[in-house]
Amino acid sequence: MKQLIYLYIFMGLGLTLFLVHCGLKALTVSLPKQAKAGERVSFVMHSGAEPRIEGSGKYTTQLVAGIMVPKSWNARKNAVVTFTSPKGNGTMRMIADTEIEPVSGLNWPQAAKKMFGIGPNLVDDFEWIIYRSTQSYSFVNNEDIDFDVKVTCDVGSENMLVRLGFYLGSSIENLRAEDTDYKKFTFSNVFEVTDGEGDLIDFVNPQLGTVQPVKSTDNDIITLTFNSGVSSTVLDGQQDIYLRVHALDESGNQIASVATAEEKTKLIKSAGKRFLIDLWPRGYFSISKDQHIASLEYFFTDASGEKIVGYGNTEEPFKYTFRCD
Amino acid sequence: MSSISSQEAIKDITGSWQVIQLKRNGEDLSERMALTDFRMDFKQDGTYVLAKELPFLTQGSGNYALNDPQFPFSLILSSEQQESHTVKFQFPVVQGQRQLSLTFSLGCSSNSYEYTFERVNLEP
Repeated sequence: MKQLIYLYIFMGLGLTLFLVHCGLKALTVSLPKQAKAGERVSFVMHSGAEPRIEGSGKYTTQLVAGIMVPKSWNARKNAVVTFTSPKGNGTMRMIADTEIEPVSGLNWPQAAKKMFGIGPNLVDDFEWIIYRSTQSYSFVNNEDIDFDVKVTCDVGSENMLVRLGFYLGSSIENLRAEDTDYKKFTFSNVFEVTDGEGDLIDFVNPQLGTVQPVKSTDNDIITLTFNSGVSSTVLDGQQDIYLRVHALDESGNQIASVATAEEKTKLIKSAGKRFLIDLWPRGYFSISKDQHIASLEYFFTDASGEKIVGYGNTEEPFKYTFRCD
Repeated sequence: MSSISSQEAIKDITGSWQVIQLKRNGEDLSERMALTDFRMDFKQDGTYVLAKELPFLTQGSGNYALNDPQFPFSLILSSEQQESHTVKFQFPVVQGQRQLSLTFSLGCSSNSYEYTFERVNLEP
């Protein structure tokens, strides 16, 4: 019995050593700086394997790769993920939402979102999508290789500034929080989509005015935030900030307006020099059943209504267009 | 044990309910939005009345039904305009109080709202 325990301890130690000394090389990503809306673009992840295995053991696993992209790209439908390596090339298969990542108990997209978040992006409208090689590959000690994983997908129809997320891993390790050897992830430099439709969606730069959720209709509850710490404005030092907002129809004609500084338009002070207001547009503007608000134009003002801040600290209004994916 | 006592009770949601918590995509908005006027009455005759114009699936009044009287997981609301909505329904006991929780989308399907109600204590 005692020998058996020693054997277990020995095996445990062996496994630990093996885990510590083995792993993936650092992950880097090549990508273009920008693309036109609707264009099909490739992002290439570069990494490698560094198997350090005691004795004559083998390490057998499947390659796992993940991307974090805006939901509006519809990458689940159109992305193709392939890899090239000295051990062979192949196309990776998306892991189904029904498959549970064993460490978190969540499905893979949820588990990756929980583990990696949205990185340096400030606004969340992203999804993680995880792929796995269809074949397993075996490594012996010191069989170091470099490999590339290429993601090709459509960049959607919206103008945006975004930092994309990338992950590489090993199928038998899953997403353990403490693992840094097999779990490599990074976020790209700023990637821009131009020549598209709608307002520029800036996921990256702090904005004076933001709207959550990113996608909504006039029947959602939206939160307008004034981030007064982003830049110095005429409203610096004001304790009370008010909203001045106009509701427009599809043709850009004003159909309603809430423009006086009163309780209804007063923003609530929040952490980090932020002021915010939650509103249900249909009720806020008392819109009738057959009317629809297509977009909002808004400013932030002081109580007197004389000090006004617009988009990018100009006299132009902040704009928000209602739309779903 | 008699067979009757082991049966799951029929869930009775009649009464007047007030929203005590509102979450949008998991974010709690209750502290920031005035919810005191947000009431919903479920009446014995199978009809409901919403207090006033509110961000909700339907407006005004209509008929309600649970998908299963003993083990309900959805509530069906049919407004007078004949539109019918099925929403996710939960009926937990929190600190000795029944709560009624409804989850649905209002605008974009990507946004989900969870309304938690508590019974309003009416005069005895």
